[in-house]
Parts: sequence; structure tokens; C-alpha cells
Amino acid sequence: MATETNNLGYTDIHDDVVRSIVKTGPKYYIALATAGGTTLLCFFFPWFYQLYYGIGAAGINHPGVWGTYLASFIFWIGLSHSGTLLSCVLHLTNSTWRKAMYRSAEAMTLFSLVVAATYVMVHVGRPWFIHWAVPYPNQMELWPNFRSPLMFDVMAIGTYITGSTIFIYMGTIPDFAAVRDRTTGWRNTMYTLLSLGWRGTDKEWHRLHWAYTFLAVLIIPLAVSVHSIVSWDFAMSVVPGLHQTIFAPYFVVGAIYSGTAGIVTVMFVLRKSMGFEQYITKLHFDNLGKLLLVLSLIWTYINGVELFTAWYSGTSEEYEALGYKLFGFYAPLYWEMILFCAVAPMLMFSTRFRTSFVPMLILSIAINIGMYTERFLIIATSLSRQYLPDAWGVYVPSLVEISIMVGSFALFTTLFLVFVKIFPSVSMYEVKETMATPTMEPLAPATGIPA
Amino acid sequence: MPNIERREFLKLIGAGSVGVGAGFMLRESAKHPTEYLIPHVVAPEDFSSGIATWYNSVCSMCPAGCGISVRTREGLAKKIEGNPLHPVNQGRLCALGQAGLQVLYNPDRLTEPLRQTAERGSTSFEKITWDEGLDQVGERLDLLRAAGRGNRVALLSQGVRGHLAQLFESFMQQMGSERLLHYDFNHPHTLYAANQRFFGEDRLPYYDLQNTRLLLSFGADYLATWISPVHHSLGFGESRQGRPDIRGKFIQIEPRMSISGAAADEWIAARPGTEGFLALGLAHHIVAEGNYQGADRADWVTALADYSPSQVAEQTGLPVTTIVRLADMFVDIDPSLAIGGGAAANHSNGVDTLVAVNVLNYLVGNIGREGGLVFNPEPSGPVSRRRQASYLSMLELAEAARQGEIDVLILNSTNPVFTLPAAAEFRQALAEIPLIVSLSSFLDETTALADLILPSHTYLESWGDDFPEPGVGFSVGAVSQPVVSPLYNTRATGDIILALAQRIGASNAMPWNSMEEFLKDGWRQIYERGDAQTLAQGFDAFWISVLRAGVWGETTRRNTEFTLERSVIAGIGVQTPEFSGSEEEYPFILHPYLSPNFHDGRGANLPWMQELPDPMTSVVYGSWVEINPVTAEQLGFTEGDLVEIQSPHGTVRAPVFIFPAIMPDVIAMPIGQGHHEYGRYAKDRGVNPIEILSPQIEPVTGSLASSATRVKLVATGRRVKLVKTSGMSRDLGRDIVQTTGPTGVEVSSARPNSIPITEVTS
Amino acid sequence: MSLFSRFMDSWRKYRKPGYYDEFDYHWTMAIDLDKCTGCEACVTACQAENNIPVVGEKEMARGREMQWIRIERYWEGEFPDIKLRFIPMMCQHCDAAPCETVCPVGATYHNQDGLNAQIYNRCIGTRACAVYCPYEVRYFNYYDHHWDSPLDKQLNPDVTVRGKGVMEKCTFCIQRIRQAKDLAKDDGRRRVRDGEVQPACVQSCPSKALVFGDRKDPDSQVFKSMHDPRNYRVLEELNTDSSVFYLKKVDA
Ligand SMILES: Nc1nc2c(c(=O)[nH]1)N[C@H]1C(S)=C(S)[C@@H](COP(=O)(O)OP(=O)(O)OC[C@H]3O[C@@H](n4cnc5c(=O)[nH]c(N)nc54)[C@H](O)[C@@H]3O)O[C@H]1N2
Ligand code: SF4
Ligand code: SF4
Ligand code: SF4
Ligand code: SF4
Ligand code: SF4
Repeated sequence: MATETNNLGYTDIHDDVVRSIVKTGPKYYIALATAGGTTLLCFFFPWFYQLYYGIGAAGINHPGVWGTYLASFIFWIGLSHSGTLLSCVLHLTNSTWRKAMYRSAEAMTLFSLVVAATYVMVHVGRPWFIHWAVPYPNQMELWPNFRSPLMFDVMAIGTYITGSTIFIYMGTIPDFAAVRDRTTGWRNTMYTLLSLGWRGTDKEWHRLHWAYTFLAVLIIPLAVSVHSIVSWDFAMSVVPGLHQTIFAPYFVVGAIYSGTAGIVTVMFVLRKSMGFEQYITKLHFDNLGKLLLVLSLIWTYINGVELFTAWYSGTSEEYEALGYKLFGFYAPLYWEMILFCAVAPMLMFSTRFRTSFVPMLILSIAINIGMYTERFLIIATSLSRQYLPDAWGVYVPSLVEISIMVGSFALFTTLFLVFVKIFPSVSMYEVKETMATPTMEPLAPATGIPA
Repeated sequence: MPNIERREFLKLIGAGSVGVGAGFMLRESAKHPTEYLIPHVVAPEDFSSGIATWYNSVCSMCPAGCGISVRTREGLAKKIEGNPLHPVNQGRLCALGQAGLQVLYNPDRLTEPLRQTAERGSTSFEKITWDEGLDQVGERLDLLRAAGRGNRVALLSQGVRGHLAQLFESFMQQMGSERLLHYDFNHPHTLYAANQRFFGEDRLPYYDLQNTRLLLSFGADYLATWISPVHHSLGFGESRQGRPDIRGKFIQIEPRMSISGAAADEWIAARPGTEGFLALGLAHHIVAEGNYQGADRADWVTALADYSPSQVAEQTGLPVTTIVRLADMFVDIDPSLAIGGGAAANHSNGVDTLVAVNVLNYLVGNIGREGGLVFNPEPSGPVSRRRQASYLSMLELAEAARQGEIDVLILNSTNPVFTLPAAAEFRQALAEIPLIVSLSSFLDETTALADLILPSHTYLESWGDDFPEPGVGFSVGAVSQPVVSPLYNTRATGDIILALAQRIGASNAMPWNSMEEFLKDGWRQIYERGDAQTLAQGFDAFWISVLRAGVWGETTRRNTEFTLERSVIAGIGVQTPEFSGSEEEYPFILHPYLSPNFHDGRGANLPWMQELPDPMTSVVYGSWVEINPVTAEQLGFTEGDLVEIQSPHGTVRAPVFIFPAIMPDVIAMPIGQGHHEYGRYAKDRGVNPIEILSPQIEPVTGSLASSATRVKLVATGRRVKLVKTSGMSRDLGRDIVQTTGPTGVEVSSARPNSIPITEVTS
Repeated sequence: MSLFSRFMDSWRKYRKPGYYDEFDYHWTMAIDLDKCTGCEACVTACQAENNIPVVGEKEMARGREMQWIRIERYWEGEFPDIKLRFIPMMCQHCDAAPCETVCPVGATYHNQDGLNAQIYNRCIGTRACAVYCPYEVRYFNYYDHHWDSPLDKQLNPDVTVRGKGVMEKCTFCIQRIRQAKDLAKDDGRRRVRDGEVQPACVQSCPSKALVFGDRKDPDSQVFKSMHDPRNYRVLEELNTDSSVFYLKKVDA
């Protein structure tokens, strides 16, 4: 496959990437300060206020006991897909275009998961006892309830975080070593530790690839199962609108969809801000655009199915839930979601659109706004209209919730900004693999990293 | 030891750990799940409940006089339940009765004697001692008494019965004043008057709901606010599903559906104020059909001539078929019972209407029999109905004040400034009284105008007794004893009166040192009426047994013979109801009803009651105006629109509530909110519809015809959020409240039907 | 028994809602809708007995009521042929309770008396149980409640005051059940007598619409009531196997 990196040499890559780690301009600090400050102000302060006052700081009520916190949780879990998952799939299918972007994509996975996990803490009424949801032997002989879909969730996400962390870390070892060799002082010490004594021998490369491929195979079903299980938090209930057999595939597709859109956004930003124009190219946008388009179609289809089955059931409960979704209090949000996630993505049928950076950025953001809305609506519309009409009610997010939602993006950005200073955000060795170099051997570049 | 390499060693360690871990998990999960899942969270087992002390007493939250048992722990009252031995409520209690604890522990109680330091109504008070307060009043009273001007002293109390009422009586007699009034907004003056006219006695009969098979209620919300709601609810339950193979039928006639209307099998909206016509229409049909064969039949034919179903249909707006059907049903179902009250009794023709209701009972022979209307014997202890103030007597009091004829007004837990219409100008009249003393426990609107506050205990801290009226066919007395020691520097009302008696030099006539002493003295007389067996045990044992049981009864019932005077029959007839305000200018009739939660407003300072959804609308914390959906649509109103309700005598503002069961030209508002004082929970919340009532009078009793005010609605263009708990009050075919047809009415097992009372004398 | 069959046996029981093959008692409520007047005495009784806080107007406006028993109201028809039907709704103590399976920490579980018990100090506040409960009778403590002094003097010492972040709901007045059992034990009886346990709502109900007891005792009031031909259970189609039986209102 032709790439646009052909005019680069190994040294250029190293220079570019190491520069992105070592050389820190004022812009970075401004960005970090802004993101960090916003995180503190919009995420942590309101959260501490909520911890102090009680979760009544959120807008949740009876019957709307779940709200944006859970919606955000699912959103972030969703966003976490396609990072690692996409990377794995593309790795296994040997797509070379993945290589320039996959590390940031994986980092996205990791940080989305971290934000999602944080949201669990924000969501529960007594986060100081959150460890009770983890099975560990204890003197009180108290165990979590393994029948609970929430418990499945804890397990699934725990595994997913662990898997993703190992995956991204392992894939970065050669690059840590490369940076190690080009840095001094504390950085050198840090990268020495991180690179675990990587020397770049044949055997090491061989083992790395073997393990990497093994993990890639392992993570794909895991990613699928994680979002299936997340969907069961809802689908295992009997609440009309939540109790849907199609939820598992729906959530998985939705997750990959929003995750892929997220990658487009992140790539755009990286490309501009880190000067990676040469690594992240039109080709990437084109390919991701095609993927997004397919996902959008599947997502739209499942939405149709959901509406149809509700209508077909003919029960007052499902019917009311359906009507409420389409025409009730939250209807404007519903139609916004349809516009952003089903209609607008049709633009990507055009190659010109797919290869235009700014329009793709806007669309990718729109898709994620739509996907956030989707998660919110699943919860809000269903809880508002359950079996006993007397208990109907509406839920409206409070300022604290909205602020924490905004803050969570800042938290994500902060984590990402820290990441780019520690991790080589483009996989150097894999980019090199794509370059026409006479010394290149299959699977293992013999010489490791030039001194 | 075999030669194990480092790697092998690590592998073994790894495998070993996994094995041990898996084994552990397997072992754990092989236990009985309950053992390993939740051993330390089994709440009930490691909980040990404490031992409570129960005191029987009397509920004072409304005039029904239910018996209560109060659970106390470590000297604090924890829960009020019904006294199972008390025949009025048989262990049951209404929501307001439950909330009595929040009277006791209300954070806004008056805790010590106070003197107003700035102008009246400023509510700036200074603390004083009891002696200062009592001396100040005592000196004033003593001077007046000595000067023979005792009549310049007025004592205005809420309706109280029993020995406290007697104490008031003696005290005012000692003062030489006739100005002793008991005032309750909703005292059923018209009912007393109607019974007086019909039965010739100033006493209410017992309405035997429990044994009736058909109840025809003309406006009486007997399940929520009328006379004795808990007792009626018991009767309702028994009548409905307490007897094998018999299910009582309930029909409610009223312009706006009340709780009793909702419970009824049939709800009929007759034009407001025409309930009496309807009753006579039924009577006409009963007589015309030959279903009445008494000797005075001819008199009845004459008396009812103008009330044929077709004439009545015109007046009431009901179809003739309905009238005929009701009449036939009333005859066919036996025993049947007709009662009247509520809005039907609060029109200018209230007494006529209630007499007409009695006519029905008379014609089908319901009088003096089980399942009908049973005469009560005279209560065994003091009652105060002679002192019960009508609207006119309150106006007279106000007029006397304006004329400068009153020097001292003593208020006891009554709040006329709140419960009288603005048109009565009672507040302004109070300004003319030089000294106002309030014995209330709370700073209500009237007490806020007092110069001196000598706060009483709440009923849970004081001695007292009650002789419920109406009784339950036999006489019942109940003693109210303190269930906790007083929380604050307050005194029992009786003790305050006795202290004042001492200061006016009436100690000889009123020699008691405390209310408790006076009470025991009174009960000694009841004891002495007892039979040999009772007397044999001695008074102390008798007294203890009454305190233990909380209630005492005389089992004899009244003779049920009754003959109707011919003159009464000749006087039967209903006047056309009069409304104030012209129909053109004021198109709606205002239907103010007692809130089941707040009664006449006295419950508004109780947080539990504020937060208890109104049964019919589910609204909490506020006022609203109920409008028929069609009317609302015509006027362009939706729920939450703030409207002005204007009567010829004032304006209040309230949000609209679309109420499906109200006549199109009637609007309804609950009474109870709209306090300007009365503590943090009541203050500045909602509006008081009494304020705008026209001073329309029922001429026989002089009581306020509170349902006879016309109003108009004016949009304000503003909206407010009506706080309510119901999301959607239609079940959308989900069959949540399931029903079964009238045939095959199976009845749950019969339950013991006896009323437990302590049988003391005969 | 082999380890495997023991495991399978546990698994079967574990899958079984409530775990129990047999309850010690099987506490049951019967509600006669033909008697219920909608008076809400039960609501205040429950509030008083169970230390249920008053949340205030602002919180009520936000839909944060706490009362464990509510009276639902449903209008039928239009003026003048209109009816209003009331139905008391509290935790139905489902023997196959959806709320129990979803709680990740087992803070709500079925006890040996057939009660759906709520363990406040184990609850971490996920509110999943409230979502899963189709009767919507679970109420959440959004913050620490406050009793204006001295209203706190009323608090029932036999019942916990719940702190923020904890779910709560009708317990069938478990403290009263406990008390009755203690009494029975003190009296040397093995079992509690019928009528000895009266939850606060049942105790107060002025029309005696509520009946409570042990359905394992065929002579009990509640056994008779629940076998009344008028009996039905709300949302029976969801197979929650609830322990609250309603007796149909008679439409005559
Ligand atoms: N009215 C009254 N009050 C008293 C006394 C009295 O006689 N009368 N006695 C006083 C005296 S002497 C004492 S010692 C205290 C005792 O008072 P507490 O210390 O309160 O004693 P318990 O109620 O026995 O136990 C407290 C809780 O610990 C839990 N528990 C049991 N095992 C464990 C464990 O391994 N870990 C943890 N974390 N929790 C566990 C139990 O389930 C229980 O809920 O009471 C004092 N208070
Ligand atoms: S009816 Fe009146 S006396 Fe009886 S419990 Fe209710 S408030 Fe108290
Ligand atoms: S107390 Fe009884 S009658 Fe009143 S609402 Fe509750 S269940 Fe119904
Ligand atoms: S009614 Fe709701 S809370 Fe109660 S046991 Fe059933 S599912 Fe659980
Ligand atoms: S809120 Fe509490 S009881 Fe409910 S599921 Fe969560 S932890 Fe369990
Ligand atoms: S059984 Fe107890 S906890 Fe349940 S609603 Fe009745 S009073 Fe409340």
C-alpha cells in the first residue's frame, strides 16, 4: 500500500517523535494548564461538592434515578472501543495505514476507560465503599452478588482495562527503548525502566510480535463482550425501553461507531498540534470515513429494529415508551441524535468529503454528540415512562452534572496531554516498517534502533 | 531435591497460585450460597427492639375525639396509634391524628410566656415569667370582676369538650361574663339545627354506616372531614366487605368529587345548593309510589307536592330517571341511610336541606334502627355545644369589641383571624380590645395579635378528657393523660385558668390546684353513678382502670321510639339557595372544602401533613384551584396557570389544577393553606379561600354559608410549577386497579364485629 | 456428595430467586381495593414509624419524595361519568425480585421470612435496584436528611436513620416482625400468632383495607384474603411473584 511517509528517513521519524516528547513549547503548557484547570474546576470541584452534599447535587430523582453520569459512563466506555479494538483488528489484518495512528487510538481507549471508571465513582451514592463491588476475600466473608449484571460489568471492564494497558504498553516497548537511547537525565532513567531492557534482538522482536498478536486476538472478543455486558445493565431489567434483546449488538456497534468517530477527532487534533501531517494523512481519514459510514448504516438499522419491535409488541408500556421517545419531552434530543448519527453521516458516501479534514472533524464531533445523546435518551426516556403511570416523571440534569460532563472531557484531554509527553505517540518502529528500506526483514528489523 | 531451574520454579509457583485460587473459589461457591454471600448483612437477626411504654390518651387534632395509644421510649413520644379499645376509632387513626407528634415536637412551638413589645402583629416579643404574665392578666380581671364589669371579658376557645369546657364555664361564671365562645370554622351548626327541628333534640344521632346496605350522602365527605372520619371509614370498610354476602352500596351527591365521592359506587353532581330539592324529590317519589304507609301519609303528600321528580329535575339539573332510580333504590335496599353535610349544609338553605335528608330516613323507617340512624344518649360528661359560636355570634363579638365593650379577650387555640372571611373584619375589631391574651401553643395569625402569650401544653403533655359527639349509640368518655413530661416552660390550659381563678379570688368556688385534680374530681362523680361492682373497687382502682384503657363507656343505648310532630311535616320545604355576586359577573360558584390534611388550617404547620399528597390531586405544599377540563379548555387554562379568583369580597391567586370530577360552573379550593404566621412550615404557603368568602348567612343558625360565594377567574399570564407526586393519573388500559362486576360479589371472611369497650356501669 | 454435585446444587440454589426452598414465615400483605378510601393514613403512619424524612417543597418539586407507601390514583371516564380509583403501592416483597438480582453488593436480598430486605450499611448507592423494580417503590437518599430540632425526638429508636447515598423502601416493618418474634420467644411459643404483627400502615388503616400476616398459616386472615376470588397481583405478567395481593374493587 502506498503511503505518504515514503520521503521520510528513520532519523526524521525519531527526531519528530522524540522532539514531541522532549521539546515542550509554551503552547503545550498553556494547553495543559487549560485542560488541567478545567478538569479541576469543572470535574473535581463539583464532584467534591457532590461528595460532601450527597448525590442530590445531581438532577436524579424518582423515577429518574439514573442520569447523565451513567450516560457518560457508557459514552466513555463506547469511546474506548475502536481504540484498542480497531488497532487489534487492523493489526491482525495487516493494514499498514493503521500504524501511524494506532498508538494514540489505544491511548484513547485507555483514557476513556479511566474516565469511565471515574464516572462509576461519580455515579454511585457512596463511592467510598466502591471496593465492595470487587470480589476479594475478607474477614466479614462478604462477597459481591455475582448474579448482578453490574457485577459482570465490574469484571468485564476490569479485564478490559488490564488487557488494554498491557497491549498498549507492550506495543510501545521498542519505542521506549528508542527514546531511552536519545534522552538523558531523568527521562533516560524513566525510559530505561519502561523499556524493560529492550535491546532489539531477533528473539525479542519475535516474542514481541507473537505476544502482541496473541493479545490482539484476545482483546477483540473482550471488547465485544464489554459493551454487550454494559448493555445488560439495562437489558436485564424489565423496564420498557431498556428491556431489549438487541441491546448487546446495538451497544457494541454504537461503541465502535462513537469510538471510530472519536479517533477521527483525535487524529485531526494530533495532526495539527503535533505537526504529524506526514504521518496522519488523507488516506487515514478516507479509510476511517468508510468504516464510519458502514457503522452508521448498521446503527441506523438497529435503531429502526428497536422502534419496530416496540411498536409491534403493541403493549401499552412499550407503545408509550416509543411514543414518548419520538414525541415526548425529550423528543428534540431524539431528532438531534437521528440527524447527527443517521442522516449527516450519509455525506461520507462522497470521497471528497471523507478526504476533507475539517468537514470530517465536524462530522466526527457531531456523531459523538449524537451518540452521547443516544446514551442519555436510553436512560432518560425509559425511566420516565415505566409501568405505573402514577409514578411517571421527568429527569433534567443539574448544573453539577453538566459541569462534570464538560469536565470529563477536560480530564480526558489532560490525561492525553500527559500521555504525549511520556509515550511516543506515533509508533516509530511500525511506521518504519512501512518504509521502503533495503534492510527491512519480515517481522523483525535486524538492527533495532540506530544509535 | 530435583534440580529445578529458575524458570520451572516460577512456572510452578504460578500454577500453584492459580490452583489454590481456583480451589478457594470452588470451595467458597460450594457452600450454601446464603452463607457465603451475605452472612453479616442479615439485618433482622442482630437487631433487638427496645421495650416501649404505651399511654392511652385522646386525639385532639379534630373534633372527632378518637382514642390514641402513644408509644414512648425513654420518655419520648415515638408513635401515635389508635386505641383499640376506643369505640370511635377502634385502634385506627387518620393521617392528621398520626401527625400529632409534630404538634408536640414542632420546632415553632411557643416555649415560654411572652409579652408583645411593639405594636400588635409586629411579633416582637419579650420573655416574661409565668407570674408576671398571670399577674398582669389576673389584676385586670380582678379589677373588672370587682367592678361588676366581668362581662367585659371574653373567652374564645377552639371547640373543647369534657372537663376543660366545664372549667371554662365555671371560670367565666366566676368572672360574671356570658362571653364564652367555642369557635370552629366547620362546626356543623346546620346539622344540629336540622336535627333539633326534626327530632326535637339538640344532639346528633349515630349514623350506623357499618350495618347499612345503602348510604346516600348528600355532600358529606364522611370519610375525610365530616364529623368522625375514622369511625365512618371503619363503618365503610365493614359495610363494603366485612359481612358475608352483603356489600354495602355508597352513593355520593356533590358538585365536586371528594374522597367519599371517589369511594362511592356512584357519584352524582347536582347543582350546588339543590341537594335538599333532590332529597325531597326522592321523598316525593317514595310517597307517590305508595312506599310510605304511615298514618301521616296525607300530610306528606301535601308537604311534598311541589317536589315531584320532574320539578326537582329542573332545579338539580339531574335527569328524572336518576331521581326515580335513587328513590327506588333507597326503598328497595334495606337498611338504607341518608346523611347530609359538607357543602350541601353550607348554603343559605342548609338546615332545610338537612331536614330534607332526615325526611328520607323517616319515610323508609331508618330511624332508630341498626344500619340507619341511632339516637345517642346524652353524653355522660360535660359538652359545650351551647357555647359553639356561629358566624353571627362571631360578628356580634367583633361588634362588641368595636363598641368598646370588651376589655380582655382570652384566646385558647382558636384562630378566627384565619378562619373568618375578610368581610367579617375580625382582625380590625381585635384592634379595639385593650388586652388580648392567647393561651395557644403556636404563633398563629390571631395569637400574633395578642399582647400577652401564656402558652399551653400540647394535648400530649396535659390532662383532659373528652366525650365524643356524636357518640356511637352509647356514651363514651375518654381520659387524656400526659404521655411525656412537658418539653418547655408551658402550662396546661386548665392550670392557667385555675391560676387566673385564684387571682380573681375565686378559689372558693374553684378550689382545685391543678387540672388533674379537677379532672379526677369530675370523674369521681361519674364513678359514683356506677353500679355496685364498680363502686366496690374504689375510686382509685376505677381511675387507674380508666387511664389504662384510656376509655370508658356506658353500655345502655337510647330508647329508639320516635314520633314525628305534624307541624314538622308541614314545615318541610327547601328554599332556593342564595349566592352572593351576580351570575353574569361571577360565573363560577366557589366550592371551598376542608383539606383532609390540614382540617381548617390547623394542620398546616405539620411537615408530615404538608408533604402528604392531597388524596385527590396528589399536590403537596400549596394551594390550587380545581377546574373542570372542559371549562379550562374554554378559558384556555392549563395546569399551573396562575389565576386570580375574584369574589365580591376579595381576590386570591392560585395555580390551576384540571380536575376531571367537578361541575363545569363550579371551581373548588382546599382550605388550610395561606397562613401568614403559624410557623415555618405553614407560613407564606398557598392561599386561604376563606378570605374571599361572601358573608352569606344560613338564617336559622347564623352560620356562614361558605359554599354560596360566586367568583370569576382572571388570568394573570403567569405560570407556576404545581408540586405533585402523580405523574399521570390515567392507567392507559394497563389494568392496574382491577375491578370485578357486581355479580358474584364474594366477600372476604367475616371478621369479629364487636366493639371492645370497658363495661363499667349500666 | 461429590464436590461437583455440591457445586451444582449451590448453583441451582444460587440461580433460584431468594435461594430458599422454604421460608420460615412467609409474610404477606392483602389490600382490599374495595375498602381502601385513599385517605393516606397509611402513608403518614409509615413515615412516623420508619423515620422517613420530610424532604421539603423544593425537593418534592424535583421529584424526590421518600414515602415508602404511596397512594396511586387513576381516573376513569369523563365528567359526569367519572371514577377515581386509588391503589396503595409499596414494596411488593417479590419472591422473584428483579431488584435483588441486580444489586452488585447484595445489599438487597431475600431473607428467610420471604421479605425483600434492604441492608442500608451495605448499599453503595448504584440505584440499579430502583431501575429494576417495576413497581418503582424504592426511594433514594440523595443527601443526609435533617430534622429541625426537636422533631428528631420523634425518631423511632428501633429503625435506622438512613444516610446519604443509600437506597430505602418498605420493609414490611421488619422491626415489628422482630419484636413479635421476640415476644413469642419470651412466651415460650415457637411461632408468632396471627395478627400479632401489624405493620404501621396496617395498624392505622381506618377502613381496614390492609391485612398482614403469615401465609404459611392457613388459618390466618391474610391467607383467607389472598385466596379471595377477587385476588390479583399488580403487574403479575412480569412474574415477580410478589407478596402483596390486591383484592379487586367491586364495580357495582
Ligand atoms: N442500653 C444499653 N446500652 C449499652 C449497654 C447496655 O447494657 N444497655 N452496654 C454497653 C456495653 S458494655 C457495650 S460493650 C456496648 C456494645 O455495643 P456495640 O459495640 O455496638 O455492640 P454490638 O451491638 O454487639 O455490635 C456492633 C455491630 O458489630 C457487628 N459485627 C459483629 N462482628 C463483626 C466483625 O467482625 N467486624 C465488624 N466490622 N462488625 C462486626 C455486629 O453485626 C453489630 O452490628 O454497648 C453499650 N451500650
Ligand atoms: S379523625 Fe380527628 S380525632 Fe380522629 S384521629 Fe383523625 S384527627 Fe384525630
Ligand atoms: S390507610 Fe387504608 S384506606 Fe387509607 S389509603 Fe391507606 S390503605 Fe387506603
Ligand atoms: S417491589 Fe420492587 S423493591 Fe420490592 S421486592 Fe419487588 S422489585 Fe424489589
Ligand atoms: S442502590 Fe444499594 S441496594 Fe440498590 S442496587 Fe445499588 S447497592 Fe444495591
Ligand atoms: S409495611 Fe411498614 S414499611 Fe411497609 S409501607 Fe407499611 S408501614 Fe411502611
